[in-house]
This record gives sequence, C-alpha cells and structure tokens, in this order.
Amino acid sequence: MHTAILKAPRAALAEYDQMLTWVVLALLCIGLVMVYSASIATAEDSKFTGFHPTYYLVRHGIFIFVGLAAGVAAFQVKVETWQKLAPWLFMAGVLLLVLVLIPGVGKSVNGSRRWLSLFVINLQPSELMKLFAVLYAADYTVRKGVVKHTFVKAFLPMFSVMGLVGALLLLEPDMGAFVVICSIAICTLWLGGFNLKVFGMLMFALPLAFVVLIGSSPYRMQRIKGFWDPWSDPFGKGYQLSHALIAFGRGEWFGVGLGASVEKLFYLPEAHTDFLLAVIAEELGFVGVCVVILLFAGVLVRAFAIGRQAAFLDRQFAALLAQGTAVWLAVQAMINIGVNMGVLPTKGLTLPFLSFGGSGVVVNCIAVAILLRIDWENRRMMRGQTI
Amino acid sequence: MSYNGALKTTGVVALPPWRSSLLFLVLLLGLCALVGRAVYLQGIHNDFLQQKGDARYGRTVDIVAHRGMITDRYGEPLAISTPVESVWASSQQDEAATPEQVRQLAQALGMDARDVKNRLFDDSRDFVYLKRQIPPEQAEKVVRLEVPGVSLHREYRRYYPGADMTAQLLGFTDVDDNGQEGIELALQELLSGKAGSERVIKDRRGHIVEDVASIRAPKPGSDLALSLDSKMQYLAFREIKLAVEQHHAKAGSIVVLDAKSGEVLALANWPSYNPNNRDKPATKMLRNRAVTDLFEPGSTIKPFTVATALEAGKFTPDSVINTENGVFTVGGRKIHDTHPYASLTVAQVIQHSSNVGAAKMGLSLSPETFGSSLSEAGFGTATGSAFPGEASGKLRDYHKWMPIEQANMSFGNGMSVNLLQLARAYTVFANGGELKPVSFLRQDAPGVGKRVFSETTAREVRDMLELVVQPGGTAPQAQIKGYRVAGKTGTAHKVEGGRYVDRYVASFVGMAPASNPRLIVAVMVDEPTGEYYGGLIAAPSFSNVMGSALRLLNVPNDAPLGNVMMPPAGDDAKEET
Repeated sequence: MHTAILKAPRAALAEYDQMLTWVVLALLCIGLVMVYSASIATAEDSKFTGFHPTYYLVRHGIFIFVGLAAGVAAFQVKVETWQKLAPWLFMAGVLLLVLVLIPGVGKSVNGSRRWLSLFVINLQPSELMKLFAVLYAADYTVRKGVVKHTFVKAFLPMFSVMGLVGALLLLEPDMGAFVVICSIAICTLWLGGFNLKVFGMLMFALPLAFVVLIGSSPYRMQRIKGFWDPWSDPFGKGYQLSHALIAFGRGEWFGVGLGASVEKLFYLPEAHTDFLLAVIAEELGFVGVCVVILLFAGVLVRAFAIGRQAAFLDRQFAALLAQGTAVWLAVQAMINIGVNMGVLPTKGLTLPFLSFGGSGVVVNCIAVAILLRIDWENRRMMRGQTI
Repeated sequence: MSYNGALKTTGVVALPPWRSSLLFLVLLLGLCALVGRAVYLQGIHNDFLQQKGDARYGRTVDIVAHRGMITDRYGEPLAISTPVESVWASSQQDEAATPEQVRQLAQALGMDARDVKNRLFDDSRDFVYLKRQIPPEQAEKVVRLEVPGVSLHREYRRYYPGADMTAQLLGFTDVDDNGQEGIELALQELLSGKAGSERVIKDRRGHIVEDVASIRAPKPGSDLALSLDSKMQYLAFREIKLAVEQHHAKAGSIVVLDAKSGEVLALANWPSYNPNNRDKPATKMLRNRAVTDLFEPGSTIKPFTVATALEAGKFTPDSVINTENGVFTVGGRKIHDTHPYASLTVAQVIQHSSNVGAAKMGLSLSPETFGSSLSEAGFGTATGSAFPGEASGKLRDYHKWMPIEQANMSFGNGMSVNLLQLARAYTVFANGGELKPVSFLRQDAPGVGKRVFSETTAREVRDMLELVVQPGGTAPQAQIKGYRVAGKTGTAHKVEGGRYVDRYVASFVGMAPASNPRLIVAVMVDEPTGEYYGGLIAAPSFSNVMGSALRLLNVPNDAPLGNVMMPPAGDDAKEET
C-alpha cells in the first residue's frame, strides 16, 4: 500500500524525457533573450521595423509560442504515421523548393531566394526540408535494409534524390541547408549499417565534390576567402567574420554584460540570426558560449539515448529518426558555431532554437516533439502498454 | 504490437550499435573542439581581437575646454561661454528621413527645406552639420522629431551681455570658440585653455556609446578681469552714440582712463554692432577706432608744446607772446588764429587755443628738445596696450624737421595719434608729470610711471587747462557741476591724400577733479556735420560722462555746486588747427 503510493508519482514523472524538454526550453529562453538583446539597437533605428525596439522580440516570442503549439500537436502523431507520411512529406518538400524558385512566388532577401510568402508569415521551405529529409532518410534506410550491400540498389537512389534536392537548394542558394541535408542522409545510411567500402569511398569523393562545388561559384569562393584570413580584407570579404571574432575577443571569460555588446550596434550584420552566438560570446563571455554548447551536447546525448533505446526495442525507423534528428541539430549547431568562431566558411545557417526565424524555430520544435514522442512510445512499450 | 509487426515486414535491418557510438563520439568531439576554439578566442587570442575592435570603433575625441569668462573690474560678466547644441547628420543610414520629417526639421531649424534635404542626403560625407549653435529649446524641438541620422553635438558659444556696448573692445570668437578680434584675440592663450581628449567607443552610425578612458582632462581657460567698469562703459557708450547721431558724424570714440593707474575704465565706439548676432557686420563696424584709427590731434597737443617750453625755462605762465593779430608766416606759409589777438600770455594761448602762440613757443625750442618731449609723452609709439591692430601713430624724426613742420607740430598738425594714446599722454598732467602705462586688465597696483615733465610744470599746465573750460575758453560746455575740470579742445582738418580737406575731427581731452585728477576722458568725433568745433561737439559728451563717472565713484567735490558759468552767447569755442 505504502510503496504503491510512493511509486505512483515517480511513474507519472517518467512519462516523457524531462531532461530533453528542459534543455530545449532553456535554449529557447536564452534565444528569446539574446535575440532581443542583439536586435534592439537595429530595430530601434530601422524604418523596416517601424522603429520599434521590441519588433524582433515580439515576433520571436510568437514564433516560440507557435513552435510549442506545433510541438504539442506533433507529439500526438504516432511514429508509425510519420513513417507512412515520410515519402509524401518529402515530395511536398521538394515541391516547395521548386515553388520558392519561381519568381513572384518566392521572396528574395539579400540575393537569396529562400522564402515563400504566405500572407502573414514567410515560410522557409529549406527549414522544413531538413525535417522531411530526416524522415525520408530513416524510412528509406529501413526499406532498403535488405539490399544494403549493393551500391546501385542501396546508395544510388538516395544519391540521386539528394542530388535533386541539393541542386534545388543551391539554386536558392542555400548551401548551409544542403550541407545539413547531405549530412543527415549520409549519417542515416551509415547508422543503417550500409556497406563500409562505399563509405570509405565517400570519404574521398565528398571533399572532392565540395571543392568543385565551391570553385564553381564566385559567391561561395568569396565566402571561403573571407573565412580563410578575415584580417586580409577586414572591410570587404572578411567584414562579417572579423566582427564576429572581435565580439568573441571582447567577451573574454565572463562577457561584457547582457545588453552591453558594441558589435550589435550596426557593426555585426545578422546579429540576431546567423551571428547570434557572437553577441552571446560578447555579452555573456566564454561561460555563455559553454552553456549553449553544453545544452546542445545535452540534446545530442538525449537524442542518441532515445535512438539506441528504440533500436534496442527493435524499432528501426524510430531509432534512425531519433539519431537522424540528433545529427541534424548537432551538425547545424556545430556549423553555425564554427562559422561564428571562424573555423568554417560563412554558410547562412541559423543556430537551432536560438536564432531569430519563424520556420526554423517551429520546425526545430516539431523535431523535438517527435523525439519526445519516440521516447514516450519507448517508455510505454517497456511498460508493456499500448501506443 | 502491430507496429513492430509492420516494421518487420519491410525487412530486418540490423542497426550496428558501434556505428551509432562512433557517430555520437565524433559529434561530441566536434562540440568539444568548438569549446576549445572558444577558449582560444576568448581567453588567449582576445588581446589581438580587442585591439582590432578598438581600431574599428574606438576613437579619440577632443573634449572642448570651457573658455574663460571675461568680466569687468568688479566681476560683472562681459563675455560668457554658454552651452549650445549643434545639429549634425550622418549619411550612413539604413532608413532615410521621410519628406514630412525633412519639412518639419527644416521648420524647426529655420532653414530652407531643400537645403536641409541636400545636406541630409549628402552621401559624399559621413558627417555634416545642419546648423551650428542653436539654443537649447530649439535643439529640444529637433530631438523630438526623431529624424533618423540627426544628432546633437554640444558646443559652447560666446555670449556678450554688453552687446554693441563692448563689441569692438572685446571682439568676438569664431564658431570654434577661437578669438578673432579684440580682447578675445589678444588674450586667446589665457582664455582658451587646453582641450582635453578621451577614448570613446562609437557605434557604426558615429554615436558615442561608451566613454572608455579619459586621456587628458580639459584645462578650462582662465577667467579674466578687465580694467573696465561696466557702468562707466555704459555711460561712455551712450554719450558717444548720442554725439555721433546728434551731429550726423561718421563715427566717434571715447576713452575713460583711471588717471592714477592708467587702467582703461571705459572704451566705446559708435557705430557699433551686436556681436551676439552671427550675421557678419561691415568691416568698418568691427574696428576699435579708439585704438586702431589715427587722426591728426590738432590743438590737444598744445599743452605738450607749452609744457616743453616751460620746462626749457624760456617761458613762464605769465610770459607775454606777440600773437601778431592772428597771422604769422613761417617759411612762406601762413599760420592763422580763429580769434586774432595782438598778444597773449602763455596761459591765454592755451585758453584761446592760439595757433600763433603755440607755434612761436614750439619754434623757440630745438627740434631735439621738442621732438623727444613728444616721444616721451608717448606719441609715435604704441601704448603697450597689446590690443590687436593698434596703430602707433606718426611722429616724424626730429632730425628732419623743417621749421614749418615744427611750427605745425606745436598745434598738432603733421602728426597722428590714436585716441587711447592721446588720453594716455594726458596722464602726465594728471600725475605731476608722470606718464602712466595703459592697461585693459585690472591692475592690483598702479603701474609705474615715467617722468616726462617736472611736477611744477605739470601743475602749471593743468591750471592753464582749467581756463579752457571757463567762460572765455574754448570749451565752457565741458564744465561739471561740483568739480573743477581741466581739458583741451581739438578741432583738426582731416588729411586725405596728403592734403587738408574741409572735414574735421572734433575732440576733447580732459581730467577731473582738476585739484587731484581721478579720471581722464578723451572724446573724438569724426566728421560732424554742421558745427565741428571740439568745444561744441566733444566737450558736452565729456562733461556728461565725466560728471556721471565721478559721481559713480563718489569722488568728493572740489568746487561748489554752483560752479558752472556759461558765457553769454559767443563764439569763443571756435578754433581751427
């Protein structure tokens, strides 16, 4: 009798992955505060925002709210349903990527055609595509499991599909999304136990392909050059990066204090989106950067744990989906942080959960909701309950 | 368990756990590497990066030093630096001002809308002033408009409470607060102080967002007390303005000196201008005529001729001189007296301002004696006031004098003086023969004088000068109720292109109380129309200023209040030299 009472609340608490939930909520909260801090000066001084200093804060708050709502909704969807929908969603995603390229339908900002204007909100199909790619890759890997050692049957269809998506993304251009989607596809195939020799070959082929890709476009070439030595042309190609690096240097261990960044005062472009981490580094210092990286590590740890638990339960699709999501979020975060720190060329990728951007925040929330759903189903299966 | 069943129908996929572990490890290592990079950037390489940042947005800016205040001798402010705002615009704007904002801004600044627009959208410059030095209340209006890119910049502007009263004396500063004329220029070093500088951080739009460090504190300029007495300055200015306007003269100047110390108590000119008004006045208004303009002094020199002759022992005040019925020929040139007399005593020569008498006394002296006596009285050399643009006056080298020149010089022709110089020269008669240095700054102790004449001579000449204002003299209008006055009129033809023309400078220099002079007042009116005699034009101004000034200083009377005796209408005032 007594033991039953004591155990009841613990069982109720263990219904879902609390650590993952809190880690993601922490990231969203830090993001909200830092987006406000990074954007306040530019918003106050821009006619585009109507001179409202809270312009980005209000919008980002709404995005997070919508994201949480979307997450709650997504949590209700069974993993099985996601698997069934995966190919269709992927096709819808490709369709959106085509739509965005059509002049008049797609909206161009800073020379990149990345947005679809849907009355009030701007939809960024490449963000959606990342989620759909994870779903599709997991489903594909499960379906092709029987032929995983034949290159033509197992690898070639995936490569063709990725080639198509990649081409569409590079037409926008959105190199960052392309790199993330490629990483998701390759990592999922790798997890699926596909032929080792092929991966060995890819280790050579992929870097080569990237070099060719970069050399083929002056836009990408310029970004690479700016990244290589930002101080050789600090007012031209290296402008953005040099200011990001200065922000890190100014922040030192404990930062200059929340709100005290100088770089955000019109020096650092995209301070509230791609270069949010630089503002975090300046205002909150190494401590702030470490907290963000640790939280992402937390997401990574939990997502892999959920994935392995699913694999243990013989739920291959769920396992691949969870680990694919982990790869997506981790790779995107790492690329963004790497760009901010000057170890990777400028890509135009946002920092998941933190950067300003409606599509990104909502899609990231949905991804976490799916992770939580997998975990929830795992827990129910372990208890022998029905899903 | 239907789900698991469905999964298995698609084929058994074994997920190798080692691959998952390896991938997890690689991703975790990637995050660790980023932490390492953060340590490098934020803990090791940070000095270099901060240096780069400082080069981007760190700026050294000057801190304007507060310019010292100029006061009169009692601490009344004459020139004060007041804070004002300058409106400037930065062209580095994402958003441009709307046409409506431009219109409102132009209205607030009182400028042409097109002009404002041109400056606002001038992309060739990062920084452009829209309007400098506007009053705080106007600046507030501008701020309230919130036009993008428009900001204020604190500056100091000179304000002169005395306005046109002290205009030429004080001069003015330019828009950067540097002295351009007058005292402001002469004492620039003392007044300006030293600008400080500090290190600041500016945002990309040029606004200062943080004061990092003060490199050098600004050293404010010193406050300076002039010798001026603002009440006397007001009196002097009012009277000279009145005299010039009444006689439709071209210009006029007046100088009030402390007879004992040589300090300038008042110095005014008319026409004048308001230095608080930024509209550039005509150049002729800017000149401090009392110091920078020269004129032939005429009869006001006669006391020096007489004093030199007395000093040489050739005459006594009662010596009788044959004045030849008003016409005397020297070297083929005729010298005239307006009032012809057969003979006059030395005192009467001064009283009636006889040219013939003065010429005879001058000619009795060697050129060396006469010439060095005039030099010692300060003629032909600058007064030492250090006023910018002071004219020293002309006194020809006595080695080259011709007799006619020497004769002319005896009654002040053929030489030139400025009014300050003339007033100063009269300190010899006020101070027992000692010439005092003049000063525009308040002196703690009277300046050390230089003896020119003996005390007896000085007193004898002063007694003669008292006759000038008595009935029978040339300036009865110079009399003051309750005080004895000693002075001398001057009415001189102007010289244009080396020839005398029928235009005049009327002057009067005098001191009071004659028993122990406290003040010297010199008045000069340039080209009066109608009457032009010093006794009629300059003497009344002298009387008004001197009388009020003495009462202002509470100088005890040295004559009964009923001392003023006006002659029956006559033409004694007439003189022409």
